[in-house]
Amino acid sequence: MKEKTIYEHLREKGLSRRDFMKLCGTIAGMMGLEFVPPVKALGKTLGPSPEEVVAQALKTRPKVPIIWLEFQDCAGCSEAISRSSSPLLSNLVLNDIAIEYHETLMAAAGFQAEKAKEECMKKYFGKYVLVVEGSPTLDDDGIYCTVAGKSNLDLLKEAAAGAAAVIATGNCACFGGIPAARPNPTRAVGVADLIKDKPVVNIPGCPAIPEVTTGTILHFLILGQLPETDQLKRPLPFYGHTVHDHCLRRPFYEAGKFAGSFDDEGARKGYCLYRLGCKGPTTYNACAGLKWERGLSYPVQSGHPCLGCSEPHFWDGGGFYQGQSTPIIRLDRGSTATLVGVGVAAGAALAGLNAVKKSRAKKDLRKDQSGAPGSEPGSKKEG
Amino acid sequence: MNWTNILNFSRGPLLHVAMIIFVAGLSFRLVRVLLLGWARDRAKNKGSKLWGVIVNYLKGLFVLPFIPWVRRTFRHNELTFIAGGLFHLSLFLVLVFGTAHILVWKSLWGFGWKGLPTPILAFFSAVGIISMIVLLINRLTHPVLKMLTKFPVWINWLVVFLPMITGFIMARHLWFRYEVIFSLHLISVSLLLIWIPFGRISHFLFYFFSKTIHGAQAGKRAVTP
Repeated sequence: MKEKTIYEHLREKGLSRRDFMKLCGTIAGMMGLEFVPPVKALGKTLGPSPEEVVAQALKTRPKVPIIWLEFQDCAGCSEAISRSSSPLLSNLVLNDIAIEYHETLMAAAGFQAEKAKEECMKKYFGKYVLVVEGSPTLDDDGIYCTVAGKSNLDLLKEAAAGAAAVIATGNCACFGGIPAARPNPTRAVGVADLIKDKPVVNIPGCPAIPEVTTGTILHFLILGQLPETDQLKRPLPFYGHTVHDHCLRRPFYEAGKFAGSFDDEGARKGYCLYRLGCKGPTTYNACAGLKWERGLSYPVQSGHPCLGCSEPHFWDGGGFYQGQSTPIIRLDRGSTATLVGVGVAAGAALAGLNAVKKSRAKKDLRKDQSGAPGSEPGSKKEG
Repeated sequence: MNWTNILNFSRGPLLHVAMIIFVAGLSFRLVRVLLLGWARDRAKNKGSKLWGVIVNYLKGLFVLPFIPWVRRTFRHNELTFIAGGLFHLSLFLVLVFGTAHILVWKSLWGFGWKGLPTPILAFFSAVGIISMIVLLINRLTHPVLKMLTKFPVWINWLVVFLPMITGFIMARHLWFRYEVIFSLHLISVSLLLIWIPFGRISHFLFYFFSKTIHGAQAGKRAVTP
């Protein structure tokens, strides 16, 4: 029997054609698809419009099975997706695109769940998308995170072998995240450090913004490939700008108006949070644009500085409330005193050596003068 | 190696090593100067040493720079005097009243203060950069200066100019990604900190040292420094 397309699946569930087209428009907008709008404005058309591309894909393509693995994580990224306030999209991903295996969300458990995963991997070999949440660990062959008796390294390699693409969601899966924070006891790494032979895309964040995860999955579903990425493998439509770039407090930054503490006059007036440790200028994420809770707010808007959670090793980049311009390693009083001591001692030692040399030279000179009264007067100048 | 890691490295270990060399190196230099030997001052104390020091500072920092025509250095080369003066003023304002810099002082000393509005700082940092370029051109074209200038002087110019230009570009968000220009700024600052104890930029410390001594000597003799 021919596999049902996503459109057929949605129609069966009672979605009207009108709602379907609205959904396609939403998806296209969220993915940042835009084709030839200036040409369209002139009354000419060049190729299909974005929503038509989405509609065409949903009408013709079968569901994309997703296998969602969790390693060293808090399940926060799954929580974010399941409680995402854009139900249309998360429903689409959770129910209609079909997540075949997800340890936290699926009803099955134990051997049945593992069997279902194996069957899915076999049936859809080379077609499924592997989503990884949480960091794989390298130390002692990955025994610090095991599921069903298998180490996370084995699980990852096994699942990645048949995957069409790998999506790492959350900072842990992308760069090691909190488990990789110093001293990184389990030697946690990012997925892309281990999987080299498959296309990998990183969706960092703590948690990853659900619309970004779903958007990336939909991008693969609709266009058949992962989105264009930056050097850290983050999709450019979502990670092309810093939080600072689109920040609503940016005008205050430009004017030099900063909140000095969390409850001062500046904070009440909504001034820039740079002095309170905001990492917005170096953090690439879609927070300021997409926001959370259906565009309600995001950390900086709510009065908290950006932590830089979509950047590698954000946990080790100095304190969260320490200004970004400050040195990460502080020169404390004790070490400053030691350094001054070292400098002074070295200087004094050199001065002492010089003094000894000088007095010797003087002594020699005196000896020369007393020993050889007829010596040249010019020799006196030496020493 | 990505730029976020480079930034963490330059904000972390690199800056730390630079500060270590800076502190230990300057202490070393200061002790070396102090122990070069002191000529015994046999003059009788006719006035106040402290008063001499105060007058010397007030004149040197707040009076003479603003009535430069009374000084020979100005009459000999107005351009150097004005550009040099503006450079020092801008550097002082940006370093002391730039918000990002105030955070650095706060992290070192435990207290901060209010910064100047960004447009004013932008103006002065531009003035500082232009002065530096003017001074460079002057040095490159002036027949006497050209002969006097040796290799370390060019390094002095470069290690001061690089932090200024990268800082300006960073604060205005021009051309580069922020983490890239931020890393370059910190690398150039580290270079400056490492170079200071070995070069003549250490005058930022020795200036106050010699101002104090000269002021005290003049004050002791009850003459105007």
